[in-house]
Amino acid sequence: MDSQPNDTPTPAPPDMNRRGFLRTSAMFAAGAAALTASLKPLLQLKDFTSVDKFLQKYYKEMTPEDMEKVLKRIADDVERQYQVRPHVRDLKPMDGVEFVYALNLTRCIGCRKCVHACVKENNQSRSPEIQYIRVLKMPHGSLDVEKSEHNYSPEAVPEKGFFYMPVQCQQCRNPPCVKVCPVHATWQEKDGITVIDYDWCIGCRYCMAACPYGARHFNFTKPTIPADRLNPEMAYLGNRPRSMGVTEKCHFCVQRTRAGRYPACVEVCPAGARKFGNILDPESEVSKILSTKRVFIQLKEELGTSPRFFYYFDV
Amino acid sequence: MAYNKKTGVVLAVLFTVFALLTAAFSLDLWGKPAPVKQLPLVNKELLKTETWRRSYADLVKDKEPLDDFDCYTCHEEGKKQVLKFDDKNQLVIPDEHKDVVMGHGTHGRNNNCFNCHIDDKLNELQTRDGRSLKFEESTQLCGSCHGPTLRDWEAGSHGRTSGYWNRALGPFKKQDCVNCHNPHSPKFPGRKPAPAPNHLRESSGGPEPTPIKD
Repeated sequence: MDSQPNDTPTPAPPDMNRRGFLRTSAMFAAGAAALTASLKPLLQLKDFTSVDKFLQKYYKEMTPEDMEKVLKRIADDVERQYQVRPHVRDLKPMDGVEFVYALNLTRCIGCRKCVHACVKENNQSRSPEIQYIRVLKMPHGSLDVEKSEHNYSPEAVPEKGFFYMPVQCQQCRNPPCVKVCPVHATWQEKDGITVIDYDWCIGCRYCMAACPYGARHFNFTKPTIPADRLNPEMAYLGNRPRSMGVTEKCHFCVQRTRAGRYPACVEVCPAGARKFGNILDPESEVSKILSTKRVFIQLKEELGTSPRFFYYFDV
Repeated sequence: MAYNKKTGVVLAVLFTVFALLTAAFSLDLWGKPAPVKQLPLVNKELLKTETWRRSYADLVKDKEPLDDFDCYTCHEEGKKQVLKFDDKNQLVIPDEHKDVVMGHGTHGRNNNCFNCHIDDKLNELQTRDGRSLKFEESTQLCGSCHGPTLRDWEAGSHGRTSGYWNRALGPFKKQDCVNCHNPHSPKFPGRKPAPAPNHLRESSGGPEPTPIKD
């Protein structure tokens, strides 16, 4: 307080000096109060970033030993928060594998089981709700998403005159979200999955603005997951619990698919509308579908994103 | 030195105001963030991956009792069964088989039990080209009429799959027709969909439906 501007000798008359002093003091008080107010949200931080997490290296620069330490840190964090010891792995893409998803629009009945199986598998926040899959109800004879509705809740689905189109991350070959990320926290891996390093994401949400499919979701608060619904089978680039202020999206269940299993949405679909596999294997289901079925190429293909997610029809 | 006294008073007042503001902010007297509304959790029934029906093959594999399929507990062996039709040529299902709802094909066209069952060999099934099949081979029976669907099922584009897409790493399960379709009325029954998405900041009540524009 001694270094107030009024303490410095100035040639101005005393009354001017006092007015100046009052003005400066008032501004100082307001400024100090504003600063305190702006720092106020820090009080709401419950779990501070640990030094280890803060000093963690970029995913692509980590050595296997670094990764081992990081995985242990994540497992410890999860155990502290949820009292469940998870099995966290860092699964790398397999050689000679490129994942492709095919969805049969003739078969989908719009029951939304995939939405909730995905939430369970991938440890998304329950409140506020984050869901990777959005099922659009569309009138027959149109493929215009502007005419779709996603809040439908009738007594029974499917409804006459409508078909259902689930939309999730399309795993583009030319992903706009990756191009806009200023810190390279998201990138496309060689098996075609666009992944996010949640510890590298700065939460700028450019990717959400860039994605034409609304596939990316932002954790505006710390995600809430009931401990009894936590999926302990985790992957670093996959379903480990996210923190506040990072984006997330469908990653084709890397914790399952890179271990050879089907994604959760495929296994739960009661209509068998969802198909998943390796497009580089000519005997895989998706290879046969893409070569023999009527495929409505890709959603919003005019944007040139070239999705790895294909919608097809029977008949 | 009136001037210095005044300075001291003003500084003291400012200090008090500043301290009060700090206290007010620290004690969270106003400007609380909106509380996160706890949304109801989804029913765990919706997360199950089992099929809603179990096929005869599943029952055999799991060594479950097969009394329901032992036709000759009631029927006489070797005797030809005769169907009854009403005056509108609709099949009359006997009370003993009331659980069977005939809805295979539109307009009740496929209403002859012995299109698929055999009238003098009730524990087997027959295809239209005359092959006899066991109950656990029913998929081949379905395919004898629904050829393109059988072809798609074999290629993996029709029907449910679970387990490992990479067959080298683990087992893989493909469901039979009758795991999902009731052979007597194969059309999927309608069902209540899982809850619709909630809004990010839901004000009150359920989600507002977006009207469908023309």
